[in-house]
Parts: sequence; C-alpha cells; structure tokens
Amino acid sequence: MTELEAGRAQALPSVRSGAALRRYRDLLIAVIAFAVLASLPLFTGSKALLDFIIRCSAYGLFATSLNLLVGYTGLTSFGHGMFFGLGAYSFGLIMQKLGVPIPVAFVATLAITAVIAAIIGAICVRLKEIYFAFVTLAFQMLIHSTILSWASFTGGDQGLRGGIPRPVFLGIDLANHVHLYVTSCALLILGLLAMRQIAQSPFGYTLRMIRDNAARASFLGIDVWRAKLTVFVLAALFAAMGGMVMALFVSGAYPEFAYWTISGEAIFINMLGGVSTFLGPIVGTVLLLLLNDTVTRFTEYHGIVLGVVILFFALGLRKGLLDFVAEWFAHRRDAGEGR
Amino acid sequence: MTRTRTPGISRRSTLALMGAGAMTFTAPWVARAQAKTIKIGMPTILSGRVAQLGTSSRNAVMLEVEKVNAAGGLAGRQIEMVVRDSKGQPQEAARVARELVNTDGCELLLDGEASSGSFAVHEVARDLGVLCIHTCSEASSLTADPKQHIPNAFRCVRQGIHDSIVGGSYAAAISKAKGLKKWATCSPDYAYGRDTTGEFTLYLKRFAPDVEIISESWPKLFQPDYTEVVTKILQAKPQALYSCLWGGDLTSYIDQANIYAMFGQMEVFAVNMADYTALTVVKNLPKGIHSGNRYIKTFPTTPENAAWGDAYKAKYNEYPTNWSWQNATAVMFLAEAAKKANSADGKKLAEVLKGLTIKCPFGADGTVTMRGDDHTLVGYAIGWGTTIPQEPYVPEVKAGDWKTIFELEAEWKKSKGYT
Repeated sequence: MTELEAGRAQALPSVRSGAALRRYRDLLIAVIAFAVLASLPLFTGSKALLDFIIRCSAYGLFATSLNLLVGYTGLTSFGHGMFFGLGAYSFGLIMQKLGVPIPVAFVATLAITAVIAAIIGAICVRLKEIYFAFVTLAFQMLIHSTILSWASFTGGDQGLRGGIPRPVFLGIDLANHVHLYVTSCALLILGLLAMRQIAQSPFGYTLRMIRDNAARASFLGIDVWRAKLTVFVLAALFAAMGGMVMALFVSGAYPEFAYWTISGEAIFINMLGGVSTFLGPIVGTVLLLLLNDTVTRFTEYHGIVLGVVILFFALGLRKGLLDFVAEWFAHRRDAGEGR
Repeated sequence: MTRTRTPGISRRSTLALMGAGAMTFTAPWVARAQAKTIKIGMPTILSGRVAQLGTSSRNAVMLEVEKVNAAGGLAGRQIEMVVRDSKGQPQEAARVARELVNTDGCELLLDGEASSGSFAVHEVARDLGVLCIHTCSEASSLTADPKQHIPNAFRCVRQGIHDSIVGGSYAAAISKAKGLKKWATCSPDYAYGRDTTGEFTLYLKRFAPDVEIISESWPKLFQPDYTEVVTKILQAKPQALYSCLWGGDLTSYIDQANIYAMFGQMEVFAVNMADYTALTVVKNLPKGIHSGNRYIKTFPTTPENAAWGDAYKAKYNEYPTNWSWQNATAVMFLAEAAKKANSADGKKLAEVLKGLTIKCPFGADGTVTMRGDDHTLVGYAIGWGTTIPQEPYVPEVKAGDWKTIFELEAEWKKSKGYT
C-alpha cells in the first residue's frame, strides 16, 4: 500500500461517519423542529398563529416539492399546482363519497397522484426548458377545466361543498384545531425530511448532474428520462400532500387549487426564498404568507406592494433571500480564511 | 471637565413613565369601553375584475351601520366593521374569515363572497360556530341543499331559482302574446350561467310549451370578443334570445351586438341588465331589452327605495348595485334581530333571525322575511321590465308573484332531492 492509498483508506471511514452524522443531524433537526412546533399550542392560545403554520405546511410542502424539480433537476414546471389541486380533490372526494378512514384516503390520494403524475410526467419530461414548462401548464389547464366541467362529480366552479368529513383515527380528531395543527406540522416535517433524504441521496446528486449537464449524465450511463420521471412523480406526491393539508384546513376543495395561479405562487415562493438551498422554499413560504397576511390587512392594493417586493428580489438581490444569506456567509468565511 | 448637572431621570423618561402608568391604570376601563363595541367581520372581493362586488357591498354596509350606530348600535353596542379583501380566492376567503374571528375578535360575519368563496366561508362558520350572513352568493344550493344547513348561517341574497321562475313566466307571457317560438340562449360558461339558463328555459317551456331552443352559445367568463357568438345567433335567426351574462361581460356583449343591429332583429331577455353597473356603462342602451330587476331605485316604486338609492348616490357618487341592497338588508336584519333579542350575541341573534320579517325598502310588500326552514331571504322585490336608454332606464317593472315562486321552488327542491 502506498502512502497515498493508506491516506485514502483512513479518510474513507471518516467521510462515511461524516455522512452518517449529517443524516442523523437532519433527523435531529427534524425532531427538534417538530417538538418546537408541536409544543407551540402549550405556550400560545393564538389560533391565528396556528392557522398560519397550517397554511405554511400546505404551501411549504408544495413549494419545496417544486424546488425538487426547479432547483435540483432544472425542470421549471409551470403546472405543478395541478398536483396540489389533485391532492385536495382526491382526498376530499374520497372522504365525502367513500367515508373511509383518513389514513386510507391519504394513501389512496398518493396512489392516484402517482399514477396520474406518471402518465403526465412520461409525456412532459421528454421535453426541455420552455417546452416542458408549457406542456405542464397545458396539463394543469386540462385538469382545471375537467374540474370545472365535471360539475356532477367535482361540484364545478363552486368546489366540493358540504365540508370534508373528518372521522377520528388513532385518537386524532382533525376537526379539533390543535389536532389538525399538530398533524399538519408532522406532515410538513416528515415531508421535508423525506425530500431532504431524496436531495442528499445518490439519486439527488444524479438530479443535480442532469440539471448541470444532461448529456454528460447520459454518457455516464444514467437513464435521464427515468430519473426525471421519478423526481416528477415524487415531487407530485409531496405537492398532493400539501393539497391535502389545505383541503383539511378549508374543509373543501376549490378549482382555484388547480389553477395556474397556484403554480405561479409556488414559483414566486421559490424566487423569494431561493432555490439553491433546501430550506429556501420554506423561507419563501413564510415570507409570502406573512407579506400577504400583513399587507391585505391594511390595503386592497396588495398587488402593488407584492410587485415592489418581487422587483426588489429580482433586481436588488438577484436571488432568493436564503441564497443571499448563504452567499453572504460564504463570503465572510472566505474573507476570514484569506486573512 | 466637570459636569454642571447631575443626570437624573430625563424629562422624556418621566413623560414615558407617566404615560405607561396612566395606561396601566386606565387599560381595564379602555378594554371595557372597547368591549362595548361589537366587531363584524366581512371577507369580500375588493381587488380584481369583480372588485365592484366588494366595494359596493362595503359601501352599503357602512351606510346602514352608520344609521344603526346613530340609533344606539346593536343592543347598545356600537358596530365596528372590519372589511378585508379575499381576492376572490376561496382559500383566502377561509383564511380571512378565520383571521377576522380568531385575531380581530369579530363576533359576527357578513360574508360578501361570491360562488366558491361563500362555500369556503360557510365551512369556517360551521367550524367556528360564529353567526354568518351570506350577502352576495346567489347559488341556490348554499341554502336549499340540506347538507349545507347549519344553525348559525343565513343567506340574505336573491336566488337564481327565484329569478328563473319569475323570468320564465314573464317571458312565456310575452312569447304567447308575440308568438315567439324560436329561442336562442347565450350565457357564460360556468355553473351560474348553465344552471340559471337551464332553470329559465325549464320554466319558459313549462308556461309556454311550444317554445323551442334552436341555438345555445356559451362564451367564456370575461371573454373580450363576442363576434363569433353574435354571428352564430344571427345565423340561427331566433325570434328571442335569453342571456344571463352580467357586469362587464354583458356590457361588452351589448356594445358588440349593437354593431350588428342585433337588438332590432329579436326580442332580448337579459336577466342581469337592470343593474346600474350595466345600465350606466353600455354606450347605446337599446330600447326594449327585457330584464329582471337587480337593483333599480324605481322598483319597488316606493319613496323608501328611491330615498335609499338617492342617499347611496349622494354619499358615494354612484348608484348602488344588486350586491348593495342585499348587504344593506343584512345589516337591517341584524339591527332588528338585536332589538328583538335585546342582545348582540350570535346564538341569540340566530334564534331570532329564523323566520324574522322586517320592514325593508327592498321588499315586494315593504317587508322581507328570513325564511325559517332554510335560512334564506324571501319576499324581496322581484320583477321584469323593459329598458329605455335614459333614466329611469326600466320605467315599468312587472312584479313577480311570490305565491307562484314558493310553489315552483318547492317542486324544484323536490326534483333536486333537497326535500
């Protein structure tokens, strides 16, 4: 064994233990985050704060799942909202029509979303850039139009009416505000943890390679189409989870959930928070909802305020907030090392 | 260098301390005084294409709330309105409604949402148990469907089914008199358009069985160009046309159809024409369009209604809309219910509201009733008339018969499986 080989042999276990530590670090952060969020109702009676976090869970899952496509794979989907809507409608319809226990409806919704996402994805991921973006948008409009037209089944433009039944399961009563809040937080944390695992896995790095140079990835023997389709379906599942949380929050599902503006909001959230860090979309979600909730309290001209904020991020920072912060820290660290 | 003055508590700090002390001692009294006011939350649409729905609703509510407050408030409590924009998105409507109750401390809700937004607010009312009066949603199922029924929600709005029954019988009478057998329809392609048109033709054929629908057009909501629709109708050569286009869509349609001189070639029945939002915007309002009354200050022909329309115009420099009278009526109901219950408590008000009849400028006989069994408004002025190009726009309105409306509505409910 040469000296160099011996050095590598020693370095390998330490890299592995570092990776394991990182994995457990994510888990630890997730547990702490959940503990903090779940214990919040013990310290505050503010229903508005809990409502805010439930909405953050719905939009956060949705926006982060879009980041799997945009940030990690370079697939800019303009129609990701269709899966948000699909999740809300499938879950609501299953609960209203079949009256099954909530976990069954949850799993069934994910299964339905997976099948539909696989079919739509198989067509879309063959295309690149603007063509991919517009075909996803076209599918979104198709689903939105179907919801509007199939009024006898979906309730048409008035949405799913009559409320979503929420039978108690495993002692969890989702009609109870605190129970709904804790469940939403659990879904958010579990969803984020799963997406983090995907992003940090070899598959996640394959996605980055495809984003940076799909031809090179293909030459290295990676089935680019299959990898893109897989992440398309996975992202759809998390978007559907977000849709289910929203359906539970409003106790219904409405065509607006599958309209293109929802996809636009997710893209905006990603722009606000940043796409190069995992938690960027969560920061973007909190920012957008906070902005929305504060500005609409004071003026009906919220469009102007939000427009100015977009301009600030697009022209001023030229990146999302968390990207900006991360770069600022990197600069500081580099400057420190240079000195 | 020596100090000339020993620094003690500065004047600013002293003032701040005094202020804080005063606040501490007066806070309970301030809080008590604030508790005397009652906050009413109102989620509505204040931005986007149908912002006029929200602004004209808010205007009418404020007009009435001022009167109620001047007369001593709601069971002695001054009303404070908290009106907030939902952008016409149901999830925002639900969020705003929850925020109004949970954060702003609103004890009652006036739901100024249309269509899906009203169903979202309805679910919030179901969830939070707060008294909610829907003031803009005309979807009949909101109160007709027993699945929607909750004890704390009411609807103070006209309904598509009522309009269709009155419109159908009015149109059938004219059909028979003028021999109008070939009809065309042109309505917006969404639930309201399809349902209302279906119900109108149902009652038209019931009263005039030899009527035949020879052409149907379903332009998209907010469609800018109606050329293809107009030419399609002209080619079909119907003797009469029914439309439930509304607002900007209706005015664009009329302006574009005027180019083809369409209104001289057939009788036109546009249920939503007689509303100032349409009447005052159309460039050349054709004479003789048949329309249902949305809001018009000359119907009902009472001094109270005229005075109310003038007072609104004087205050806001524009005429009220259909949404305005409905919102004003909701506040009138609340005021009367509070008087009867001698309380502003939501549960007590809900009990009194059931079946309550009040004096109202918009009533067919000077009164309107909140029907007890399905919590919906009945007895409001409803009728059809023909337009002229200048004020009063619809000089004579033939009033609908509420006895017939009740009979046919009951039949309709049965056919839908609601009863």
